[in-house]
Amino acid sequence: MPLNIDIQQVLLHMLNFVILFAALYFLLYKPVKKFIDGREEYCKDIEKRTKTTLSDAEELKCEYSGKLESAQEEIKKMKSDAADEAEKEADEIKDKARQEAGNIIEKARAEAEKEKSNILNGVNPEICKLAQDAAEKIVFESTSDAYDSFLDITDGDE
Amino acid sequence: MSKKTKAVSSLVFALIAAALIIGIILTGSPGEKEESIKEVMRDAVLHETGKISLFGIIQVNPGLISAFTVSAVLIIIAIILRIFVIPKFTLKPGKIQYLLERGVGLFTGIAKENSPDHNIFAGGYIFAAAVYIFFGTIFELFGIQAQTVRGISISLPAPLADINGAIAMGFLSYGIILFGGLFTNGIKGMLKALKDFSLPISMSFRLFGALLSGALVTELVYYYALTSYVLPVLVGVLFTLLHALIQSYVLITLVSIFYGESTEPSKKKEKRKKS
Repeated sequence: MPLNIDIQQVLLHMLNFVILFAALYFLLYKPVKKFIDGREEYCKDIEKRTKTTLSDAEELKCEYSGKLESAQEEIKKMKSDAADEAEKEADEIKDKARQEAGNIIEKARAEAEKEKSNILNGVNPEICKLAQDAAEKIVFESTSDAYDSFLDITDGDE
Repeated sequence: MSKKTKAVSSLVFALIAAALIIGIILTGSPGEKEESIKEVMRDAVLHETGKISLFGIIQVNPGLISAFTVSAVLIIIAIILRIFVIPKFTLKPGKIQYLLERGVGLFTGIAKENSPDHNIFAGGYIFAAAVYIFFGTIFELFGIQAQTVRGISISLPAPLADINGAIAMGFLSYGIILFGGLFTNGIKGMLKALKDFSLPISMSFRLFGALLSGALVTELVYYYALTSYVLPVLVGVLFTLLHALIQSYVLITLVSIFYGESTEPSKKKEKRKKS
């Protein structure tokens, strides 16, 4: 044949390469590729899990921040309610105290008034007695002018 | 080291080298005595005289012996790697694991890029083909000696520098493309590959031509004693490495592109799927 082509040797070369291909494919290519694919799968799985965890965390964060906001609002409301109630209560206490104070003052005034009238009632006989004593003293000790002037005074009082 | 000592050392080295070169020229080259350059070149192409006995059964070209040797070495390395390295693979790769993963990943990537629909088999094939072509071409650098049936000692060439090896590789690659199309797309896929009937011949002769040219230049350089120094580093080593890389790349690219074409799903199927 031209160029010394030998079909038998061509076939021998083919057989040689087929054996080599089979050996390299099953001994090297397939196991290494399997390992690479496995690792790729593992990495993808990790990435997927990380993404899921991250999204879950984001969701939780949103949920908790919402809860926190509502709790803060609730606290604010409770605070204002408590303040209002306290103010109301204070006002009530103040009113009550004022009323009580008024009552006490009223009572005190009435008592004072009563005392005053008592005093005034008690004062006239005493004054009479004092005037009698004084008159007696004047009558016996001073002049008739004094007696007259005293009589004038007592007449004026009556 | 002083300047004087350096100068003396250089002079001594130059004198020894000059003496050796003169001696080589005066004694003559054994290649010139036994075969003329014409015969050496002709034999590198046709292997008419430089045949080697295969286990005493048949006489074959040295390229076939090279092919068997390269395959045996590669299979042994693959077995060692499979037993001792691959089971110890970890998530954080070591040096050998990284190299293997990069190699397999590279060919898987090429196969996926050129044949997106069916690429598992194509990836494995181009991986094996690239390894065979690369290491087969580098093999000639080792200069492993073999004895021809005429009793002459020759250096084993690259397996694909033998026309039979190149034809085997070309037709086998075409067969992969043809049957890949047949198995995935039926007769239509096979017909797609059949229209490129010149492909096996072009692939075979591209490989043969490229590797033979390298072999011929190397033979030429080594034939003459004067060109056997320094020059082989450029011509032999660099050309061989370039051949190894370029031819591996060209063949795997062609195979993956044509395999992708023949295994591509027909448009009618896609339309049906869409509807």
